[in-house]
Amino acid sequence: MLRARQHDPDRIERRDAPAIPLIPVDKSDSEEITAAPSSQSIAQRDLRLDFFRGLALFCMFIDHMPDNILARFTIQSAMFADAAEVFIFISGYTAGMVYGRAMERQGFLLSAVRVYHRVWQLYVAHVFLFMMFMATVGFTAGALNNPIYAEEFGAANFLNEPGLAVVKALMLQFQPAFMDILPLYIVLLAVLPFVLTGFISRPWVVIFASIALWLAVQFDKRIALSAYPGPDHVWFFNPFAWQCLFFLGGWLGWRGNRGGVSWLKHRWFFYLAAVVGLAGFVIRFSWTLHDFYDPLPVPVSMEFLWPLLSKGDLGFLRFANVLAVALLVSRLIHPQAQFFATRGARPFLICGRNSLHIFCLAILLSVLAHLVLNEFFGGTLMQIVVSAAGIAIMISVAGLMEWFAAVQRASGSAALRAPAIGGGMQR
Amino acid sequence: MMLHLMSRSFMLIAVGKIGLLCAPAPIFAQERDCTVPERFYISEPQLTKTPKAIVRGQEVVIVVLGGASTLGIAAGKPDLAWPERFGAALAEKFPSGRVKVVNLAVARQTARRAAERLEREIIPMKPNLVIWETGTMEAVRGTDIDEFRETLRAGIEELRSAGIETVWMNMQFSRDSEAVIHFEPYLAAMSQLADASDVPLFRRHGMMRHWAESGFLDLRVTDTDQRRRVAAKLYDCIGRAMADFVMRGMPALNPPPVKAGSAR
Repeated sequence: MLRARQHDPDRIERRDAPAIPLIPVDKSDSEEITAAPSSQSIAQRDLRLDFFRGLALFCMFIDHMPDNILARFTIQSAMFADAAEVFIFISGYTAGMVYGRAMERQGFLLSAVRVYHRVWQLYVAHVFLFMMFMATVGFTAGALNNPIYAEEFGAANFLNEPGLAVVKALMLQFQPAFMDILPLYIVLLAVLPFVLTGFISRPWVVIFASIALWLAVQFDKRIALSAYPGPDHVWFFNPFAWQCLFFLGGWLGWRGNRGGVSWLKHRWFFYLAAVVGLAGFVIRFSWTLHDFYDPLPVPVSMEFLWPLLSKGDLGFLRFANVLAVALLVSRLIHPQAQFFATRGARPFLICGRNSLHIFCLAILLSVLAHLVLNEFFGGTLMQIVVSAAGIAIMISVAGLMEWFAAVQRASGSAALRAPAIGGGMQR
Repeated sequence: MMLHLMSRSFMLIAVGKIGLLCAPAPIFAQERDCTVPERFYISEPQLTKTPKAIVRGQEVVIVVLGGASTLGIAAGKPDLAWPERFGAALAEKFPSGRVKVVNLAVARQTARRAAERLEREIIPMKPNLVIWETGTMEAVRGTDIDEFRETLRAGIEELRSAGIETVWMNMQFSRDSEAVIHFEPYLAAMSQLADASDVPLFRRHGMMRHWAESGFLDLRVTDTDQRRRVAAKLYDCIGRAMADFVMRGMPALNPPPVKAGSAR
């Protein structure tokens, strides 16, 4: 998929260690709210973060379309984890990198305010998506009046008590179709300032507690956050499990500011990650092939691994697989690899760089894609057309945002920049 | 709520060797159109015991579990529900068969509730086959997917150890609610579980989508009478498709008149 320039891990280590720390970026990730990047920091930016976050966003959109043939070619077909893990890990990493540095330089209060500014942006985005959801609910009226469906769909509480549903959505407890990952992101980010403080004073205590909590969820399914409609509904993405991926990412990002975690560069970690990643690929891809053509055998049955594959609780295999792939990527792909300068990489980079906006757009486009596909049908060809159109829109909007940001930078006028930052533009 | 209670009281038990029911002619005249593409069947495992028992003329009991769409209230009359049409289609194809189809559907019943009924209610009836329509309530209410799958998996083991064959049926397709109610993960979970545990899955969602797409079923009619007719047509097609699905691999003793040109 990606052109790795070096295949010998030791050589990379030797070459990378003195010159380029694991994560050499200075500032200006999309988490960065207050400062526009200088041209120098752009050159140093860790483009892998942008690229893979962009890739995750495209996959998320494709996976969300009903019965989409292309969903068999996204990252979920080649590893146990899917776009959600990649998105949360990279978000944790960038948050740890940006706010961790802020925490050390500006102190707790100021950096916490910056984090909560970001939380507020995410919350507003969540409310915006909920408005869009309620708008599409209008389409269900036709089904609700039809006796073929009336009884079945009438059981959806939010249709009977929309007022309560709105309140529950504002409280992040109502998470209808596609609206489950932003609430997770919001609560994780809200806890981040305290976790970062922990990283600075007692990193191992925090990491141990985080892993212990994840482990506890694996054994006791009652550890969950309640959701609407009650009483036994819980958040789809269990924050007590997913926090571990986010904060491990955050820790790596924070350590990346000072040259990375040296013992992780040991070759045995690389071999271990390679084995895990390869095993994940072989097993998961055999399921994908089996799905295409039933008689094809699988080395390990999916049923056998189910207990370790829970998406909501971040099952062990999903967790291990995404960490292994992250380690492989960090070792095999240079942060400013030549590949990232090519035209093919640019759509991924610009979408990943404007991730919040493009994420919201992807959710919105998923809903629209459902409406279009059920209105006009059209089979596989239509699925491909709608997927391509959606991705083209995502790229165009990201391109527009890049252009706008560049124009502002070029003008260099603080007067021009200020309103855009206040209005939620991230750079 | 009112509707809820009403439908519960509708819980009907259709018993008896359903012979040739006098079906309203205009509805079923177009039966040839409700063919189902092979892709919906091709990779599903075939039943072994039940079809043979039907062909041999042994007494066969088929229990149907499900929700409102299996009760078939939308068609207006209980004998227009798909399990009844399924029984009629079986009787038409295999006149010597002695099949009793028992519809135990309850509107808005969750998979977990249905599973709880297996031990004390379903298994004592000693059915040869259980057709289990499920997944709708879980998708509508957003039940935990792992829990849903675990419920179905435990259910299938219970039925297997009692020597009962099972067919799963997934949700209905609706053109208007798919963007709001998130069906895909539940459809995928059922499909994966069916594949892993070798249970034949009757892909109603895909079939309904196919019929809507081909223009054969207008799921958006607004007139009350038309809606009832569409529902009756839909249930008849599902019943027929189910009869074909269950009896795959068995030669019909008395081939129906519409054989050539029909994929059924």
